[in-house]
Amino acid sequence: MSGQPLLEVRGLDKRFAGRSGRDTALWVIKDLSFSVPDGEFLTIIGPSGSGKTTLLNMIAQIDVANGGEVRFQSKSAPINDPKSLNPGLNCQIGYVTQEDNLLPWRTTLQNVLFPLEVQGRLDAEGRARADMLMRTVGLAGFEGHYPHELSGGMRKRASLIRTLVYDPPVILMDEPFGALDAQTRAQLQEDLLRLWNLGRKTIVFVTHDITEAIALGDRTLVLSRAPAKIVGDHPITIPRPRDIRGIMTHPDFAALYQRIREQVQ
Amino acid sequence: MTSLGESRKSGAAELGVGRVVAWLKAHSHQILVFVILIAGWQALTLWRGVYWFSSPWGVLTRFINGILGGELLSHASYTASEAVIGFVIGAIPATILPFLLRRWPMATAILDPVMVGGYGAPKLALAPLFILWFGIGIESKVALVAITVFFIVYFSALSGVRALEPKLVQMAQVAGANERDVARYIVFPGAVPYIFTGFRIAMPYSIGGAVIAELLSANRGLGYLIQFSATNFDTTGIFTALFMTTLIVALGNWSVNIVERRLLRWRPPPDVRMQTGT
Repeated sequence: MSGQPLLEVRGLDKRFAGRSGRDTALWVIKDLSFSVPDGEFLTIIGPSGSGKTTLLNMIAQIDVANGGEVRFQSKSAPINDPKSLNPGLNCQIGYVTQEDNLLPWRTTLQNVLFPLEVQGRLDAEGRARADMLMRTVGLAGFEGHYPHELSGGMRKRASLIRTLVYDPPVILMDEPFGALDAQTRAQLQEDLLRLWNLGRKTIVFVTHDITEAIALGDRTLVLSRAPAKIVGDHPITIPRPRDIRGIMTHPDFAALYQRIREQVQ
Repeated sequence: MTSLGESRKSGAAELGVGRVVAWLKAHSHQILVFVILIAGWQALTLWRGVYWFSSPWGVLTRFINGILGGELLSHASYTASEAVIGFVIGAIPATILPFLLRRWPMATAILDPVMVGGYGAPKLALAPLFILWFGIGIESKVALVAITVFFIVYFSALSGVRALEPKLVQMAQVAGANERDVARYIVFPGAVPYIFTGFRIAMPYSIGGAVIAELLSANRGLGYLIQFSATNFDTTGIFTALFMTTLIVALGNWSVNIVERRLLRWRPPPDVRMQTGT
């Protein structure tokens, strides 16, 4: 967790044009900077409308910035021009979006294998890895089901391992468990930590739930309301492996929660 | 799945009788409507005479004789092949064009007035022109069917391409998909339901177009048979040809349904459109 940061965001700006061009433009993100060392599980917390999704979209290079830069492995990625955007930065940045975005015409397994297929890496090793991931998150037996035949939690799991299957060095996650019930959510958080323990990828996990941010992260950043700035940076001292469901009973939890809550407006 | 298996098993055991009874029960309302229509027709026949309205029994007899004698079948297959060939010639470019134009919204916009005009124009009015150009053989009928089918399928395929979910494309790109992968794995499968809706709408028009072109000038086909019967004051002949035409349309509809159901297995099953399509 030391050395050069793997991912760096420097002075990032993003504004949305005002309606019909007459209103003043709205700055969603202004001069935002932070860095993520290799192998860190970073959680970012902010009120809704604080530009969390926009931030991840820019890091994943599916949205342009109006200023600043994103650096990956000390190289600047071009994000100020829509023409030079390179979504996923050659498969080095995975992105688990808020919606599962499964392809409805593909079975669960075909969806999970999709990245390997388009990357031309669909070999026995890839299939074995997909198989292992399916079993780890409890999707074994649902390989041939279409997305509409799966529950919300299962769809989420499928979309999660679709990104894990090709093992990108950085994975962005945008409130992936937002729409789930508490029970499924806790289950998926445990799954995620278990999977993360296998490879210790660098993860940038965005959420609006303080408990989730503390339970999962090595470090939590707090974003302000738009224009988003970093108003807090909290190392999470709770040792791993963590008991997700009992995280609230840990002696450090209450103080952390209190400090973060004061900064989230 | 289990109920299907059971009904298959029991059907085999009772030599199909149980299945026939079950089918009759399941479709009793449809059968009732059919019986009422036939009865109404018979009533018209009794009231106005066989000369104007033929009779259900007369048409059925003529139909069976026509099938057994082969004459009706040969007219029907002539019309059906015009429809099928025209359908293929019209539907293939209509399906492909929106995909080619996807990358050039400009070209789509430039073509749009032409397409809208072509879609709105009464294609049947083109029949005399096509007969002048292509003669009274199969070519003029195929041309009329093709142009009718083309515009219907083009707009369906176009709306399929436009219904593309940008989030799915972004997901695919982040996962490493190039432009070709996006077209192949995202745009095309997403447009297939729309294309099939186009096929379903265009199918009866293809038969209708062929029959109408034959009405104007032909020496074979169901349209010719209708025209020929009419000039001989043979209402039974007209009704028989109409009945045959309807049968072909039903057969075409059934084929589209079969193919669609195979290709669209991924869709949630209780689809109202599919149920009414059967």
